[in-house]
Amino acid sequence: MSIGMVLLAGGVGKRMGKPAPKQFLLLGGKPLIIHVAEAISGIDSIGEIVVTCPAEHIDDTAALLRNHGLDRRIRCVAGGASRQESVQLGLAALSACDTVIIHEAVRPLVSSADFQALIADAAPNAFYGIQIPFTVLRGRGKVEGILDRDELVNVQLPQKFAYAPLVKAHAEAAAAGESYTEDASLFYARGAGEVKILKGSERNLKITHPSDLITAEALYADWRGGGG
Amino acid sequence: MSRVCVITGASQGIGRAAAIRMAAEPDISHLILVARNGEGLEETKRMIGATKAKVESIAMDLSDLDAIPELVKGIHERHGSIDLLLNIAGYAEPKSLLDTTDENIRTTYAVNVFSMLAMIREAVRYMRGRPGKILNVASTAATTSRPGWIAYASSKAAVVSLSQTLADELAGTGIKVYVVSPGRCATELRQKLAPEEDPNTIMQPSQVAEVIASLLRGGENTLDGQNIIVRQQS
Ligand SMILES: NC(=O)c1ccc[n+]([C@@H]2O[C@H](COP(=O)([O-])OP(=O)(O)OC[C@H]3O[C@@H](n4cnc5c(N)ncnc54)[C@H](OP(=O)(O)O)[C@@H]3O)[C@@H](O)[C@H]2O)c1
Repeated sequence: MSIGMVLLAGGVGKRMGKPAPKQFLLLGGKPLIIHVAEAISGIDSIGEIVVTCPAEHIDDTAALLRNHGLDRRIRCVAGGASRQESVQLGLAALSACDTVIIHEAVRPLVSSADFQALIADAAPNAFYGIQIPFTVLRGRGKVEGILDRDELVNVQLPQKFAYAPLVKAHAEAAAAGESYTEDASLFYARGAGEVKILKGSERNLKITHPSDLITAEALYADWRGGGG
Repeated sequence: MSRVCVITGASQGIGRAAAIRMAAEPDISHLILVARNGEGLEETKRMIGATKAKVESIAMDLSDLDAIPELVKGIHERHGSIDLLLNIAGYAEPKSLLDTTDENIRTTYAVNVFSMLAMIREAVRYMRGRPGKILNVASTAATTSRPGWIAYASSKAAVVSLSQTLADELAGTGIKVYVVSPGRCATELRQKLAPEEDPNTIMQPSQVAEVIASLLRGGENTLDGQNIIVRQQS
């Protein structure tokens, strides 16, 4: 089975309110993207990795990975205007493969074991999800409906999909002008196949808001120094 | 008594706030502001506004160590004395170890350590025999581990060390050496170190300037040679 990977580093931080792309922010003294590159560096079953990043940061990102000795198999390409478009461009830049792993640089606390378990799982399409520990209601300005949180899942990355159906689903979604915030939704909505939910971890935090980095520092310190 | 006060890094941030605050001290007769950005220095001058102190701004790159003896000599010639030296200029380029280039190390140490030491050495030539004060700005990063800030944090450790050593070495000459270590403070440098932080939630430069001014008053003579931490407990 051939495995490719798309690593999203394409968002110029919209919510962080600062111009520096988030993959360059330091966590425990290392850029976020380096944490991810280290987690995948020992996984030889992944043949080819495409990093999508803003066009103006392709060179910096490639140089950073090279400088850390983590550029093996990795190619940087320009991302798109939306996350969905970046995935599509990343998929197009990969050589055809059986399976593709999708991850994002802003989830630096992912472990090598997370990738390995995802790859090893028998399901062709799968992602990590965790429960939603708070109440979510439907509404805009006023309550318009109640959602049963037992039926909800907080979608994490990494994710894994059969390559050809995902490429097809993306093409169809783009043609139909549909937009999705991540690929499990897109894959499901386009009827591309069943997607299994694996048990994710609270630690696999996404760095979105400034406070997430503070939380991530604490989680990272605990993880690194944990035990005893 | 009137005193001549030299401030490096006065074009913005903590150095600017210190310049504004020092201008309000009744015994400051001359303020000499040094940094690279001449416009920033002029803006500091404008912000100082009406003052009885004579204000001179000197735009120069302090990492050019060879120029420092002439700089200090010129200041002494033009103003007749050097009584207070505030070494506030600082540089930071946070990077992981592998991304810390030689140029980053050189610039960081040139601005934060070498130029400071050269400024002190040259100023002391003219300060000896007078009750002068030297104040160096280090950082809380000097004494706690800061992954990702290796050049900056280690350079600030050198600032604490050189300050404490010189406080002892110069004891008896009438010159007191102070070192203050601010915690996070809302300036451009801090934005480089913590780009994701909201500057409105942290200590402001004027708060550090207030502490600096109090240390430099004639009556204060007990806090030299100690690493004084200045931070806002929130
Ligand atoms: N902000 C904090 O959280 C914090 C915490 C602890 C310690 N500190 C220290 O506080 C001091 C002041 O920094 P800041 O926070 O106010 O930052 P800042 O706003 O970036 O100011 C740095 C000052 O240093 C000057 N400078 C830098 N390189 C120079 C060079 N080659 N030659 C001459 N001047 C130079 C800059 O002027 P030009 O660019 O015009 O040259 C500027 O006036 C620094 O020593 C810093 O390490 C800051």
